[in-house]
Amino acid sequence: MTAASAPVTRSLARPSGLTIAIVVLCLLGIADAGYLVYVHYAKLTVLCVGGHGGQSSCGTVQSSSYAALAGVPVAVLGLGGYVVILVSLALRGEVGRAVGFGVALVGFGFSMYLTYRELFTIHAICEWCVGSAMLMTLLMVLMGVRFLRGAS
Amino acid sequence: MASRKEQKEQARARRLAEEQAAQLKARRNRRLQMLAGVLLGAAAVVAVAIAISSKNKTVNTTSDPGKAQQHQIDRQVNALLAGIPQNGTELGSSSAPVTMTYFGDLECPICRDFSLTGGLTPLISNEVRRGKVKIVYRSFCTATCNGPGQQVFNDQQVAAYAAGEQQRFWNYTELFYHEQGAENSGYVTEDFLKRLAAQVSGLDVPKWQTDRGNPALLSQVQADGAAAQAAGLTGTPTLIMKGPKGEVPLQAAVPSYGQLQQAINQVS
Repeated sequence: MTAASAPVTRSLARPSGLTIAIVVLCLLGIADAGYLVYVHYAKLTVLCVGGHGGQSSCGTVQSSSYAALAGVPVAVLGLGGYVVILVSLALRGEVGRAVGFGVALVGFGFSMYLTYRELFTIHAICEWCVGSAMLMTLLMVLMGVRFLRGAS
Repeated sequence: MASRKEQKEQARARRLAEEQAAQLKARRNRRLQMLAGVLLGAAAVVAVAIAISSKNKTVNTTSDPGKAQQHQIDRQVNALLAGIPQNGTELGSSSAPVTMTYFGDLECPICRDFSLTGGLTPLISNEVRRGKVKIVYRSFCTATCNGPGQQVFNDQQVAAYAAGEQQRFWNYTELFYHEQGAENSGYVTEDFLKRLAAQVSGLDVPKWQTDRGNPALLSQVQADGAAAQAAGLTGTPTLIMKGPKGEVPLQAAVPSYGQLQQAINQVS
């Protein structure tokens, strides 16, 4: 075994703390968005802490016209985003890191827009959406660090 | 003094160091270029997504004072209704525990007062937006039948119901009340109805025009009128609040927001 190949072997055996954190955040995001997708297609009521006069605030947000983009529920788009970020970790090289960072940036930007709509247009807050926005923000930071650092 | 061999090695080390520095610089430049590309690409995707999401809710600006006023009304109507689900003549979450049935006539000036200056606007902004109340509009010919007649009534109400086929009944109705003319002045013409349709953000006007010919919509208007007569109603707006604890008709001609809230509390 050459000296140059040793670190690669070690990184395969033991993922870095950064990678572990990203994987955990992606799994949390998949659980969050996956739940909203399930609730949407099963036509169930979203479990929600906040409420407005007998109706959950999540229900208000989920039934608003901002809950879908070109007919696709935004929860489905979020779920796709988390999966793509997770899969990008397996891609080697700068292109893989750039794809993951790009998707996290898009997720972050659109989450900020949706949070703005919740606060100033819909006037209701959905905890699941806020949770996803926070996860996307953290992922954007970590994927940015990973991209700039050049670490796998 | 360094030997010739040492000098060679030093030169080689220097060259290697320079090559490494050049490689590092090239890699850094490539990464910066990639970063710029990722940032620009992400910004573009987000901008497109926001544009799609905000579609039908944007209003153009203009320097024409008449049109500026019209756009001000459009903005007001869009802001009031943005994000609230619509289904036909229904406004609000379908699972709302309280339903307010609103029997109205688009030419009725008292309906206009209720919609624009009475309790309807704050009710939509609060209870309806929060999913506590949904409003179901039903047609009942009063002011129009006292003036222009049943045919005009059918045309105007069907025009609004046709907008409801695209989840924009309430946008059309609110615009109608905002631009309501003087009673019996004959202002409700084909041009008036089409102009309103063109004003409704995001309405597919050719589809709206086709839907106006749908006999089911006329039947719905007629069924609403028959239901109002069967219930013994005599005027518009007639408002009935219904919830888990029963049903309460609103007594005032133009109920205030406080009176609407009182009725909501009684039935929920």
